[in-house]
Amino acid sequence: MRAYVLRRLVVAVPSLLIASLIVFTLPRLIPGDVVQLMLEEKAYGKDLEDLRAKLGLNRPIPVQYVDWLGAVVRGNLGESLWTRQPVLSELARRLPVSAALGALALAVAIVIGVPIGVIAAVRQDGVLDFFARSLAVLGLSVPAFVMAILVTLLPAIWWGWTPRTQFVPFATSPAAFVLQLVLPAVILGITSAAGIMRLTRGMLLEVLRHDYVRTAWAKGLREREVVLKHALKNAVIPVITVLGLQVAAIAGGAVVIEWVFGIPGMGQFLVDAIVQRDYPVIQGINLMIVVIIVASNLLVDLTYAFLDPRIRY
Amino acid sequence: MSDNTGLTRRSVLTTGAAAAVLAATGPQLVTPAQAQTPKRGGTFRMTVLADPLHFDPHQTLSFVTMVPLSFVYSRLVKVKAGPSVKPMTYPIEPDLAESWTQTSDTTYVFKLRKGVRWHNKPPVNGRELTADDIKYTYERFLSIAGNPNKPVLEYVDKIEAVDKHTVKFTLKEPNAWFLDLLASTSTWIVAKECVEKFGDLKKVESVVGTGPWMLERWEPNVKLSYVRNPNYYFPGLPYADAVELLIDKDPASRLATWLAGKTDFGPEYQQAVRWLDAPIARQRKPGLQTAEYTWFTSGATGFKLATPPFGDIRVRRALARASNLAEVFESLAFSQGRWTPNPAVPAAFADWSIPIDQLGPEGRKLYEFNTAEAKKLLAEAGLPNGFKTTVEAAATVYGPDYDDFVQITLKNWAAAGIQGDLKQKEYGAFITSTIFGKFDGMFLGLRGAWADPEAYFYRWYMPGQALNVWGVNDPKLTEMIRLQRRTFDVPKRKQIVFDIQRYLAEQALFGVDGSIRILSAWDSHVKNFMPNNGFDFGGRLIAAWLDK
Repeated sequence: MRAYVLRRLVVAVPSLLIASLIVFTLPRLIPGDVVQLMLEEKAYGKDLEDLRAKLGLNRPIPVQYVDWLGAVVRGNLGESLWTRQPVLSELARRLPVSAALGALALAVAIVIGVPIGVIAAVRQDGVLDFFARSLAVLGLSVPAFVMAILVTLLPAIWWGWTPRTQFVPFATSPAAFVLQLVLPAVILGITSAAGIMRLTRGMLLEVLRHDYVRTAWAKGLREREVVLKHALKNAVIPVITVLGLQVAAIAGGAVVIEWVFGIPGMGQFLVDAIVQRDYPVIQGINLMIVVIIVASNLLVDLTYAFLDPRIRY
Repeated sequence: MSDNTGLTRRSVLTTGAAAAVLAATGPQLVTPAQAQTPKRGGTFRMTVLADPLHFDPHQTLSFVTMVPLSFVYSRLVKVKAGPSVKPMTYPIEPDLAESWTQTSDTTYVFKLRKGVRWHNKPPVNGRELTADDIKYTYERFLSIAGNPNKPVLEYVDKIEAVDKHTVKFTLKEPNAWFLDLLASTSTWIVAKECVEKFGDLKKVESVVGTGPWMLERWEPNVKLSYVRNPNYYFPGLPYADAVELLIDKDPASRLATWLAGKTDFGPEYQQAVRWLDAPIARQRKPGLQTAEYTWFTSGATGFKLATPPFGDIRVRRALARASNLAEVFESLAFSQGRWTPNPAVPAAFADWSIPIDQLGPEGRKLYEFNTAEAKKLLAEAGLPNGFKTTVEAAATVYGPDYDDFVQITLKNWAAAGIQGDLKQKEYGAFITSTIFGKFDGMFLGLRGAWADPEAYFYRWYMPGQALNVWGVNDPKLTEMIRLQRRTFDVPKRKQIVFDIQRYLAEQALFGVDGSIRILSAWDSHVKNFMPNNGFDFGGRLIAAWLDK
């Protein structure tokens, strides 16, 4: 097992390196020159060249990349070009907010998706299955931002109440902090839940037809034991793969959800940074997202090994 | 009320149309008709559309900076606020100045209030405001590089601190608008210590004023929090202990927040509620107070006369004839068909904007949408197949109604053969570069930053002005603009201003546009409040109070 973990960790390193190169290069391909913007908007420098030199953007891009990567390895993500604040300190303030939202959304996706998928498979073609599949189609069809706007606005129109609140930091009230994230997390998690439900149902149906399951039935085991103990464990391996991918989907969806619910997480920070061509901030956030996704996929791989000891890639 | 405002009977009764005019030492207070004693305490809560770009009033035109500063800073004179002031009128009253005298056409002497103290915050720490502060502020205003509001005072020759509480302004030339310009929401008095300590006034820590509230905290993307200034120079004011400006970029969310009672004012800029949402707001909020009036904000079209084909008057007229203002304003959720066409001076200046039917025949035609006529004009200009151009627009902040306005305008231009290639630009860059002429073909933006009517033709058509992006240099027009500035007799000046607007329409030197007749709304528990045009949101809340 240790060798397997080490192998997965080693494989993660080139993934991170390639991602860092993409993360560094892509923002520079966005049309619009940050130096021009800064000079026009806030008169940060005497002229374009002066400002470019001040920001260190006059050096060749490969040199800038190596410098940046070296600093990242030392735990320094650089400073915002506009505010001169360290990116790491901004991320330290915002990452926990987005991470909490993402974790809650993922939990919602699992808690809703897996049980409904199991019920739908066990009651195949019954009323519950039909109902569950219809819900899944609905969940997949309605974009999260539409749901967010409806959930925010309709209760206000009907009952004079809205879930939208003023953001409460964790330090002020941990309970209020978590509570305010529940609804955005549910909305964010529903789309993922729909996909998980469909996959769980499909995989479980397939596994339920295997010989070893038939044997379990023949032994006279109760349905609960057959489904949950014997079938589900094998059926959820592909579901766990999808969970790793859902982290990326949730991270993307969080940008809009944070906007609608006024949550000052990384999503809003990223949108502002892209609009302002704030390269270090864009790089820092994207790198952080890449690290989270690589880490979650690593966790998925390790979970495989736990669920099925035969798996050793 | 007058034809210009749509105050409801309820609001007239509750706010007291028979407002007693108190001594000119402060804003209008509560009226006898209300028979209510103002209550101290509470928090005014309203939504704003975006975070400030920064906090330096001498470095931006933008409302996202000026509105938050209006709660903190003061100026020598201000636009009067309160229920006695009809929206769309802008009477001047003293603020930091106790009184003033005009000793000649070019000399004004202001006596300052005694005992005015800066907010008790570092680095100023509550010291007394003196004439030197006024002198310092306006010298910075005039000398700092890149102040887009410099035209407000650029005709000032010198400012002298005669003694601790007396300031003398000497102008290079007579300017009949001087007091109106001093009441602009860019002329806030700032503290020298803040500039010295922070290098400029962009940081939130540098916001130290003498105004009714003190900026306590800015949480980006969340809110701006203010607390009452206990040493404010109008005793007993402001009534509210705090103000919270909730930063909410999403219109649906802003509306929901208000309907759910988490804010006290209409959710859009200038406390407006979109007409589409007005019925549900009235249903959800019994006793809702409203005022209907035309706001400053309107579309702004930019092009350069030196860039073909815009030098040709027939092309400019074709642009106007191809613009379907009725379609724009009937489509927008904000207006739902309630709008007023604007000549060069927006209709929101009830006293200074010329009615469209008083324009000359060619000027009046600009407002008559006619695609065939637009095509004919283009053909006469040698462009039978129309032409292509780039059109820059702000990508964020202005909201979905602005986006719709841009799209409808481009669609109608295209129908006449004017193919606009839309290029969206980040708001900060748009407001600081595009509108100052850094664009290739055209731009479509918004105008409505200034509370003095002269700005709408002086800044845009005087040679040498930064906002004269058209590159207009017309001796006849220049002379008319200079003449009105020298004319202190108001009726005579008004005639000249009308002539200027006729001339500009005749020459098709602006893109035709209109302004929405907005519905500003405030909850029944907000008393002694009346909305108006301009960035001075704070000024209009000084004497307002909460009855909860």
